[in-house]
Formats: sequence, C-alpha cells, structure tokens
Amino acid sequence: MGEADVSGKLELELRRGVVVLAALSQLREPRYGYELRQALAEQGMVVEEGTLYPLLRRLESQGALASEWRVDEGPPRRYYALNAEGRALLERLTASWRAMNDTMDRLLEEGTR
Amino acid sequence: MNPLDVIVAYVADVVRHLPRRERGDVALELQALLGEALERKAQEEARPADAAMAIALVRAFGEPAEVASRYGTVPTIIAPADARRFVRLTWIGLAVIWSLGLLASVQPPPGAPSDPLSLLATWWLRVVVPSLWWPGVLVAWFAAANLADRRRPRASTWKPRDARSGRVARGGLVLAMIGIVAGLAILAEPRLVLDLALGGRAAPEAYLALTWTDTFLQRQAFVLFLLVASSLPLFAHVLVQGHWTPRLRRVQDALALLTCAAMVWTVLDGPALATSAGDEAFKGGLVLIAIVTLAELAWRSWRLPRSPGGLRMRTS
Repeated sequence: MGEADVSGKLELELRRGVVVLAALSQLREPRYGYELRQALAEQGMVVEEGTLYPLLRRLESQGALASEWRVDEGPPRRYYALNAEGRALLERLTASWRAMNDTMDRLLEEGTR
Repeated sequence: MNPLDVIVAYVADVVRHLPRRERGDVALELQALLGEALERKAQEEARPADAAMAIALVRAFGEPAEVASRYGTVPTIIAPADARRFVRLTWIGLAVIWSLGLLASVQPPPGAPSDPLSLLATWWLRVVVPSLWWPGVLVAWFAAANLADRRRPRASTWKPRDARSGRVARGGLVLAMIGIVAGLAILAEPRLVLDLALGGRAAPEAYLALTWTDTFLQRQAFVLFLLVASSLPLFAHVLVQGHWTPRLRRVQDALALLTCAAMVWTVLDGPALATSAGDEAFKGGLVLIAIVTLAELAWRSWRLPRSPGGLRMRTS
C-alpha cells in the first residue's frame, strides 16, 4: 500500500467522525440533501453526495432527525431537521468535540516543541 | 439511452440491496436528488444532459452495493472477528475429509476401476463434492453464535479467565481418564468387549479374533500398558490441582511421544491379534490414535505465544 493510500485512508477516517457533527450542526433549520451539502461546502466542509444522503437516512432511523416531503417549492424534496433528541445529541457531540479539540491542540502543540 | 433511464437503473440497483420496507422511499428520494444533480451538471457544462453525463454522475456517487451499505447496518452472517477462525476451520476440516477420502479412494473395492483417472473421479464425486457439508455446518454454527452475541450482548461480555493458561476442563479430563481405564481393560483382556456387548453369547470366532498373539504379549503389551497407565496418576494430579504446570505438561508430552513410539513399534512388528482382520482393525486404530496425538502435540506447540525475539513462551 502506497504512502498516499495510507494517508488518504486515515484522512477519510478522520473526516468520517466529523461529518455527522457537521451535518447535525446545519440542520437546526429544515434542509434537503443538496441544500445541506451546499451549506457545508460553503463553509469549507465538502462531503461526497454518496456519503451525505445515506447519512441523513441513517440519522433519521437512529431518531436524531425528523423528515418530511415538500412539494410546494419545486420538485418533491425530502427535508430533514433536528428533532428534540437530535438537538440534545448535537449538544453532547459539540461538547465532546470541543473537549477533544482542546486535547488534540495540546497534544499537537507538545509535539512541535 | 435516456439519461433519466440511467439514473432509474442505478437507483434500482442501489435499493435492491436494502430492506424491502425502505426501498420505495429511498428510491424516490435518491432519484430526485440525482435528477437535480444531473440538471446542475448540465447547466455547469452548458450542454444538455446525456447518458454519458448521467453515467459519470452515478459512478462518482459510488458502487450501488457500497452506497446501499451506507444506508444502514449491513447484516453479517459471520462476525468479522470470527472470519479468520472460520476460514481456518473450514480448510482444516476439508483437508482432513479430503485426505481420508483420498486414502479410501486409492483402495477401490474388488471389480471397481482402478486407473488413476477413475480413482480421481470417484474421489471428486464421493468425497470432495459431499464434503461441502462441513463449511455449511460451520456457517450455521458461526451464524448462530453471532446471532446469540447480538441478541444477548451482555452474555458475550469479556470476563477474565484464570491467568494460568493451563487451566483444565475437569469434565474433559474425567472423560479422558475413563477412556484410559477402558483402554487398559481392553489391553488386559480384549474379549471383555464381547462379554460386555453380547453378554458372553458371541461366536467362538469372535473370541478368537480378539485374542492377543504371544509375540505381542511378550513384547509390546507390557510397554503399552505401562505407558498408558502412567497417564492416570498424572491426570488425577492435574484434576486435583485444576491446571497444568509447565513441568506436568512436559511429562505429559514425553509420555504421549513414548506411547506413539510404542504404537508405531506395535504396528510395524508382527501380528498383535490372532486373526488378520482383527489385527488390521487394531493397528488401524493405533495409527489413528498416534496421528491424533501427534497432531494435538503439534497444535499445542504452535499455539504457544511467541516472545518478541521469536522464542516460544511456555505459559502452562
């Protein structure tokens, strides 16, 4: 396995954990798949469609999102938004992320000294 | 091909990997999203959408089976942690079945064709093809274990074992001791088997068939008896202690090797039983016991953990 392959795989693993939190953070308001992808991309988080759309369904089946079909704004689209459980989950994951981020900053800082 | 047909075909390939109840809903959503994505792509490239553009779009989306797997937990028949053990057991079992079958096939019954091609065909049809029952049994076994672990995750929670890896299953040890006693009784008087099985009503020829020859009684019988009997106090000691110590294990290994040597000596020396049929069956049994014993010794030696320097560490 080449160095680029290893690096690519590890980076993918890093991103995989972050994508859930990133998606949840942008679903305080109802959004459909492409709209969410655009919202994330505009802030520098590019997520493959093939990853994002199944993730939305998965989060819904896990009880973190609610969804509904809307047909009044053009073609039929499924909109997703956080429900009460999703909002609580977002809070918990945000706290974990901040704690981890601080720890990682300290660890990486020590490594460069 | 119409570009929308490409998308419809792709979506159909994705959803057929999903549970039936989810298919319609996911198909509707995915088709709508991919349709919009195709429209945008056509606008970006300032040309009408065509089949090639649609194919490029869905290929970038991912392989249908892979995309489907992202929609939820993929059911696994065999737990990934068991996969290596499953493959190993499958090949070991098949190797044993095929080897024994090969040995049986090279001795065709009288009148059956004995050219190599016919023997190979017989082996293939009568041994190899039916041997697929073995992986089938293993799949059922591992699937049941996997299902039980998922249904009752608490039951499969790891628990600390006795750190001494030589800990014994007392039930197995008791069974082994009963087997040894039975073996000693047969060695002392093989005709006991007939008395026990048929209440002493067996034909005189049967008694004759189970009569040791004088040569065997004068040469190997005592040695075999002594070696087999000496396992009894050893096993009794281990039964009381509850585990094997390295020294006891070495004694057991030495006894096993000596017993194998005595069995090989018996097989290669003259007849042990008065009739040739009985003698062949007895020696066949000895060969089988020797093979199993040596295989067990080799397996145990191979399983010893290795130190970083490559030396094997005895922990029992």
